[in-house]
Amino acid sequence: MSAYTERSQGSPWADFLSEQAQVLSIAFFFLLCVVYFAATTDTFLTLGNLLNVIRQAAPILIVAVAMTFVIITGGIDLSVGSQVALVNAVAAIVLSAGLPWPMAVVAMLCFGALIGLGQGWFVAYQGIPAFIVTLAGLSMLRGVALYLTQGYSIPIQGVPGFFALGRGQLLGIPLPALIAIAVAILGYVVITATRYGRQVVAVGSNMEAARRVGMPARWTIASVYVVSGVASALAGLLIAARLGSGSSNAAVGFELQVIAAVVLGGTSLMGGRGTIVGTILGALTIAVIGNGLILMHISPFFTQIVTGAIILIAIWLNTRIFTANFRFGFGKGK
Amino acid sequence: MKPRISLRNIRKNFGSLQALRGVDLDIFPGECLGLVGDNAAGKSTLTKIISGTYIPDDGTIHLDGEPVRFSGPADARRRNIEMVFQDLSLCDHIDVAGNLFLGREITKGPFLDRKTMLSEARKMLDALEIRIPRLGRKVAQLSGGQRQAIAIARAASFDPKVLIMDEPTSALAVAEVEAVLSLINRVKATGVSVILITHRLQDLFRVCDRIAVMYEGTKVAERSIVETDLEDLVKLIVGEKDEK
Repeated sequence: MSAYTERSQGSPWADFLSEQAQVLSIAFFFLLCVVYFAATTDTFLTLGNLLNVIRQAAPILIVAVAMTFVIITGGIDLSVGSQVALVNAVAAIVLSAGLPWPMAVVAMLCFGALIGLGQGWFVAYQGIPAFIVTLAGLSMLRGVALYLTQGYSIPIQGVPGFFALGRGQLLGIPLPALIAIAVAILGYVVITATRYGRQVVAVGSNMEAARRVGMPARWTIASVYVVSGVASALAGLLIAARLGSGSSNAAVGFELQVIAAVVLGGTSLMGGRGTIVGTILGALTIAVIGNGLILMHISPFFTQIVTGAIILIAIWLNTRIFTANFRFGFGKGK
Repeated sequence: MKPRISLRNIRKNFGSLQALRGVDLDIFPGECLGLVGDNAAGKSTLTKIISGTYIPDDGTIHLDGEPVRFSGPADARRRNIEMVFQDLSLCDHIDVAGNLFLGREITKGPFLDRKTMLSEARKMLDALEIRIPRLGRKVAQLSGGQRQAIAIARAASFDPKVLIMDEPTSALAVAEVEAVLSLINRVKATGVSVILITHRLQDLFRVCDRIAVMYEGTKVAERSIVETDLEDLVKLIVGEKDEK
């Protein structure tokens, strides 16, 4: 009679690798881009250029962190670009009307929260798919911005405190970059270590299970749109402060860059799975590619083609190669 | 003895479908009630009403003699009614410990207290003799039996007054079924009222004190376990069809 023995356990290290495969692969991709541009251009690895990259990436990064929350719940927010434009325009209008800038900043963040709450209400409490609600938002909010400004760019003058938000530096690091880093750290802590973060993941993983254990499932879904509204408002303010004007034509195509960054970072569009670290790497990868191609004097029109191709290739690598049951070829065995 | 939970004339419609057509049921403390019936007889609907997942269209529920109306599953859970759902209701993307504490996370200040949850989760599983080596693993990576064991541990570990189990043994292996049955006997002994839905009729005779038979949204029979046998139960479940 043979003895009863325990089956040996796979090493925790292997478990860790398969769970973090998505983040590791985008990290690898990011480093590849950095090395490539460092080798092919003289200016890429200079401090000035790197600071410039993170300054320019700041709005995308801020909204991408919020978008990670939205996508983890299984939703999507297509309206972030239009929200940025609307806040951008309204901020310029209220500032030129003479509202003190700290008050304007707080008002704009509240305005963003309100827009998000409206969209979240339709998604969570009325059961309309997030894609539809935010597609409508994409059209309407940009429309409101255009209507308010009549399509003109509105200059902001004589508020140096506000401009510092977009142009200032602290210890040599651009202020928008510092704000983006703070937002990213906050997002990371909230999603991994707080009860609210756990609720966001639970709702995206299994909405009915979350409801049955007594989590405020609907409110959690609505709340992530408030988060993305506030983040969009913050991004809109940073852009207005950097450019010194507000325009309804700001941030066109912004939502696609943000969603690309999140998806590149390994967050699943089906909900439940996603990491802030992946999102940060995704956003930086997109920013580095855009910057590097310009430094290489490649046509800016080409950037879009390359960005799109890289998203496709990175996701392809993620789903085909960096998963546990890797197989190559076409339907041959398992 | 006063019933722990008492249902009177419970009705529930889904559109034109009459899922429950006036069900009366009493469950006493320390008792296991087996709920049997064909598919779509209304077993799951009835238990979901007790656990607050569905709100009945008509009828009354008394918990320990006091009339209650559950506003939702959270409300029922607050009153110590726990349910193991047929679909298990686990979050695949959250680890084992996180699923055990889903909805009642332990926090330290604003943050999740992962360490305490892990050690408490280990104690919970040990108490039920459930073997899951790594509690930091995502539930998606576990076997069907382990997932079911987690769902049962989650419901049984927080001092339930009423524990409802909808097909708790369907995905389990022999040893695990034995563990669940002995678990039911143990929690029964502590005064918990257990409601067990199962298609494995032989299990009923191991743990139940009474068996209620549902047919087409009504309760057609109630038998004490000593006055019935397998053959009798099968007849009650299929109804008059076999007599024709």
